[in-house]
Amino acid sequence: MTSATPPKLQIRGVGKRFDNVEALTPVSLDVQANEFVCIVGASGCGKSTLFNIVSGLLAPSEGSVLLDGKEIVNRPGQVGYMLQKDLLLPWRTALQNIVLGPALRGTLTQADYDRAAALATRYGLGSFLHAYPHALSGGMRQRVALMRTLTAGNDTLLLDEPFGALDYQTRVAMQSWLLDVWREMQRTIVFVTHDVDESIFLADRVVIMTPRPGRIHSVLPIDLPRPRMPAVLSDPAFMAAKRTIMEVLHPAPETTGSEAAAHV
Amino acid sequence: MSDIGFKGIFQNALLAVLSVALIFITWKLFVVISGYPPYIIAPPEVAIAHIWNNWAEMAPLLRATLYETVVGYVLGSAFGFAIAVLMAQFRAVQRVVYPGLIISQSIPIVAIAAPLALLFGFGMAPKLIVIGLIVFFPVAINVLDGLSSVDRDVLNLARVLGASPWRIFTKVKLPACLGPLFTGLKIGASYAVTGAVIGEWTASSTKGLGTYLLTSKASLNTAAVYGDTLLLTAIGVGSFVFMLVLGIIVTPWQWSATAPKWLQPKIRPTGKED
Repeated sequence: MTSATPPKLQIRGVGKRFDNVEALTPVSLDVQANEFVCIVGASGCGKSTLFNIVSGLLAPSEGSVLLDGKEIVNRPGQVGYMLQKDLLLPWRTALQNIVLGPALRGTLTQADYDRAAALATRYGLGSFLHAYPHALSGGMRQRVALMRTLTAGNDTLLLDEPFGALDYQTRVAMQSWLLDVWREMQRTIVFVTHDVDESIFLADRVVIMTPRPGRIHSVLPIDLPRPRMPAVLSDPAFMAAKRTIMEVLHPAPETTGSEAAAHV
Repeated sequence: MSDIGFKGIFQNALLAVLSVALIFITWKLFVVISGYPPYIIAPPEVAIAHIWNNWAEMAPLLRATLYETVVGYVLGSAFGFAIAVLMAQFRAVQRVVYPGLIISQSIPIVAIAAPLALLFGFGMAPKLIVIGLIVFFPVAINVLDGLSSVDRDVLNLARVLGASPWRIFTKVKLPACLGPLFTGLKIGASYAVTGAVIGEWTASSTKGLGTYLLTSKASLNTAAVYGDTLLLTAIGVGSFVFMLVLGIIVTPWQWSATAPKWLQPKIRPTGKED
């Protein structure tokens, strides 16, 4: 990933105002192909607004978003998108939810089913292909949701706190799993979280956003070797990065109580 | 969305049979204890015997009323579904039509039957309209509810996955309203036969179980009144059970952990794709 290659995703001066309230001051960010970028920030820092704009669901008040050099503002369907809520359709089985992208575009073929089944089997859902979502655990549901995002055919994925609703053990397992998938499937990932540990564990670079108005404060490269194991959480380099981020998110004297507690 | 499975469905069916038995027992007990003479009240076995002995006469009546009920029910439900879809897709339609729906349900059915007969004569049309008027409302309201309560995030997800508005409708909104649709269909199914009887009473020259009820009552044929009512009830219960079973078949995710075999997509072993 040298800086000589053109960026996969370019966010150029993207800002958003709702009525006269500035939700997002113009931000710029380049993401390289196959890069894993995490965005951390407290609630109200504009990360979800930014994601809604990049995904094409929300029109920005200014700025542009380029994917492979092409404008994708207001054009849903160009990047994969996954939320904290798994949003699985209860009447579709795990397999049918994984192939939802092709199904909704009307391009569903037998090959899609075959590939989806192979994918699900490789990542531990082999015996749940025909299970309805209500019969799956929270971790399994999020895995199905991620496979649905992978199968949709976009090589750039926006993941908006996908593991935020999972318990700690499952979340840690899902993070390792996501890194495996990312390494094997060669995707570009932008991952929003408010869990600082999670952002450092996953990312090549951590983008720190601050609220009121939402903006990018700084971008921190994470130079931890890969593949990363959970033991990296106690690495001095990890601790240093965490300290840097925490100092931005929670400046010493005026730590805002409730929000700070939520991030520990 | 509880996972009750086949066993649960069987148990529910068994309880339903017990409940029917309980109604017959209560009916019989009431006749015996009250001591009313046979021309005031008929016990179940007399009502059933009347149907048995007069089957040749009653079968065509049953067929006629069943036919009206089914046709009126299907038309009414289809209309209710269509109007709910239009209302959900177009806000303007909803604002204009919704008050009309409420008004349509506030007009006493018996009152509207007479002008309908004057307008359309004494053929099928006014009867079907009366049944449809009763049936379409629960279907329309439930489907509208189902369509408008689809999660916004799910709709956004569908857009991000590149779905056209038509596919969002057929693949996301329609399946999402299947549950509410069947709720409405079940309510409508038990009401439809009432509509058929009212239709026959107020706007009919042809014979059916409704007209038979009138003539039996006029001639103080109590056994016939009870036998007739039993058949009418059977139509109502039968329609309800039919929709219940259909609903269970159509929404397997509501009672099963895995998709039934016939709904599972076939999977070829990998390596042969593309």
